[in-house]
Amino acid sequence: MTEDDPPPETKEGEAPSLEERRTRAGRLPGDRYVRIYRPPEFRRGRGGIYVATSEATKPRGPAGRLYDAVRHVLFGRPLETEAEAEERLSKKTGLAILASDNISSSAYATEEAMRVLAVAGVAALTLTLPIAVAIIGVLAIVVLSESRVIRAYPQGGGSYAVAKENIGTIAGLVAASALLVDYVLTVAVSTAAGVAAICSFVPAVHDDRVMWGLILIALLTVGNLRGIREAGLIFAAPTYVYMVAMFGLLAFGLVRVLTGDVPAPAQPPDPFPAGGTGEVLGLFLILRAFSSGAVGLTGSEAIANGTPNFRRPEAKNAVITLVLMGTIFATIFLGLTFLATTIGVVPDLHEQETLNSVLTRSIVGDGWYWVFVQLATAVILLLAANTGFTGFPRLASILAHDRFMPRQFAFRGERLAFSTGIVSLALVAGLILWAFGGSVTDLIPLYTIGVFLAFTLSQGGLVRRWWRLRNPGWRISMVINTIGATVTGVTLLVVAYTKFTFGAWMVLLVLPLLVLMLYSISQHYRSVADALTLEDLDAPLPPPAPPVVIVPVARLDRAALQAIAFARSISPFVRAVHIATSEESARHFRERWERWKGKDLVDGRPEVPLDVIDSPYRSLIQPLLKYIDRIDQRDRRPITIVLAEFVPRHWWEFILHSQTAFRLRAALLFRPNTIVIDVPYHFRDTGDPSGAGDRER
Amino acid sequence: MTFKRIVVPLAGTAVDPDVVRLAVTIGKPAKAQLIGIHVIEVRWNLALDAVLEPELERGEDLLASAARVAEQAGGHMQTELLQAREASAAIIDTAREREADLIILGMPYRKRLGRVYVGRTVQEVYVGAPCAVLAYRQEEPR
Repeated sequence: MTEDDPPPETKEGEAPSLEERRTRAGRLPGDRYVRIYRPPEFRRGRGGIYVATSEATKPRGPAGRLYDAVRHVLFGRPLETEAEAEERLSKKTGLAILASDNISSSAYATEEAMRVLAVAGVAALTLTLPIAVAIIGVLAIVVLSESRVIRAYPQGGGSYAVAKENIGTIAGLVAASALLVDYVLTVAVSTAAGVAAICSFVPAVHDDRVMWGLILIALLTVGNLRGIREAGLIFAAPTYVYMVAMFGLLAFGLVRVLTGDVPAPAQPPDPFPAGGTGEVLGLFLILRAFSSGAVGLTGSEAIANGTPNFRRPEAKNAVITLVLMGTIFATIFLGLTFLATTIGVVPDLHEQETLNSVLTRSIVGDGWYWVFVQLATAVILLLAANTGFTGFPRLASILAHDRFMPRQFAFRGERLAFSTGIVSLALVAGLILWAFGGSVTDLIPLYTIGVFLAFTLSQGGLVRRWWRLRNPGWRISMVINTIGATVTGVTLLVVAYTKFTFGAWMVLLVLPLLVLMLYSISQHYRSVADALTLEDLDAPLPPPAPPVVIVPVARLDRAALQAIAFARSISPFVRAVHIATSEESARHFRERWERWKGKDLVDGRPEVPLDVIDSPYRSLIQPLLKYIDRIDQRDRRPITIVLAEFVPRHWWEFILHSQTAFRLRAALLFRPNTIVIDVPYHFRDTGDPSGAGDRER
Repeated sequence: MTFKRIVVPLAGTAVDPDVVRLAVTIGKPAKAQLIGIHVIEVRWNLALDAVLEPELERGEDLLASAARVAEQAGGHMQTELLQAREASAAIIDTAREREADLIILGMPYRKRLGRVYVGRTVQEVYVGAPCAVLAYRQEEPR
């Protein structure tokens, strides 16, 4: 059937169907053919199922069409489920999307370590390089261990999947909670750091940094709702631009340093004082500097979590991307730290200029390359938030699939993105950014705990897995993961201990609450499933019992008639009830009812009795609910309320009507053992006084 | 020369996407209505309106992919599924009923006895069609 054909009427005695066959006479005798009429909204798929086409998703009214058009401009046209394979990431885009968080951490990891050491005086900054080397050592172990996670769990889920399967559900939920918190903080920290980078060369932004951060989160949300492939295309270039900018800076800086042309350090607006801010250099401070610098390791779990996002072979591509990510991060981080300590730059006391900016000014001056590096850094820091936007929705979907999060998180939107996860992440991250005033330093202490907790659990889980399975090569894998678990576990303790009073306590408080929430959600779904699951498909339907039907009637009009007619069609036990607000109107209604023939005994169906209730306090809903309660108490049969609902032509006409049916339906929603049936009466002003044309088919 | 309504018979061969793209190109200047049809040929030992599930599914699949190709090429193709004893007669009758002014036929490159083989359906539509007929033969595979 083409779109301009009228759909054929169903033949007498046939049930209506989506598909109709009509035999047509051909030009010559014997040339008969059959035209198969199919609506454009559905096509026949494999196995006798109908598939809804894009036509079926088109809205009807002009308001719906306008809304659709706006959505298509913002988010793009809907994608078919089959396009999921095309939405996968190559290594190139995967590196840009899933590794941008880790790579971008190189822009502030050195500064975060230095800021802690600088409180003990500028001389303490010489310890930054050894600390950086230790962090790279941890990163190497993490990369090696995470590659084992990818190979063992190519279906994704990362630390959650590993911990759940090998240690237990609670351990899995702890890992999942830690990762969820980490992803939210990734978005908040990256956005704050991106705005901070912009502040370095546009100081006026500093005062409104929260607002700019929120705008950027909104932009990232829209980009991600367009689907992962498109988000990759939008966000891939900045990652590579950042790499070019940093490698260029490092090459130039190293050449200058190695040739003896060590540049003089540039000064930030308000440098740390040479004598520090009163603290003494000790083991605790060094450990704190290590844990602050270890923020650079965040984001390295994203690839293992998002393995299914890669093109086939997923695991191989993910491992290659992971190794590339580690190498690039290590090179930039170590290079920047070496140059910063050799040149002797000092961080700014009040975060007005980033260390990265001061170092770049020292090496290349404040010309175009400085602007280029700052812009590239700002953009990648902003887009590092994208790692959170990829990881959080995927992990939330896996949790929702396992019934630990609301089901909405498992549904893919029109662009095959996990829309609920993306929007939820944006809301929570925006809230945190606002609560912390957009300060990177205030947010950082919250950041690293989740990552290391998840790392430790996944490494521990893998150790148990290798021990249990004892596949070929299990000993090497077990040694690697044991070292990984130990190193990340120690780092976790260091981070938790040194940052506890700086804000880490908040994460340690939130994690158990989150675990409890996930577990409670699972319990709810389990109890609902127990109540609803149909185990025996041979079980007959429960015997039908005609219900007691109550039809609230406001006026004796066509809408009420339609509702009473329907009520009589489902049960012989129908009662009408009218709530009057005055004695006069009650009497008037009763008289009109008595005159109405439609209520009378007809075709064996008994007369419809009427109860009129005068409500001198003019309340309609409450007396009606009490009436229903009383009737219900006196009868064991299920109670059914049939509501006549008048539907005006336009949405704005709703405000001209009291919508009592709507309020009553809302009031009855949670009433047990009550069926509520809406009988809508659509108003069409056809000018036909008989009302024959009023009813919409 | 412009065409207002173009019928494009589709058989599910490799030439289908080319034919659909050609139809979109030819129809674009006059914003022609494109009607893609697939005829399921019913054997004589079956009733003409027999429900042939595998053929129906195949037909729906190839019509859906033709509509997708048309959309990618910047056009819109309506689709129609028919059952007949002879595909050619149904194509001709549909073109007549729809008042089409062009039928574009696709011919996959096939050889029989050393010569390029033009199928029976193409020949019969060529001879019996009430409107212009354009045959697009697939290029020789290299």
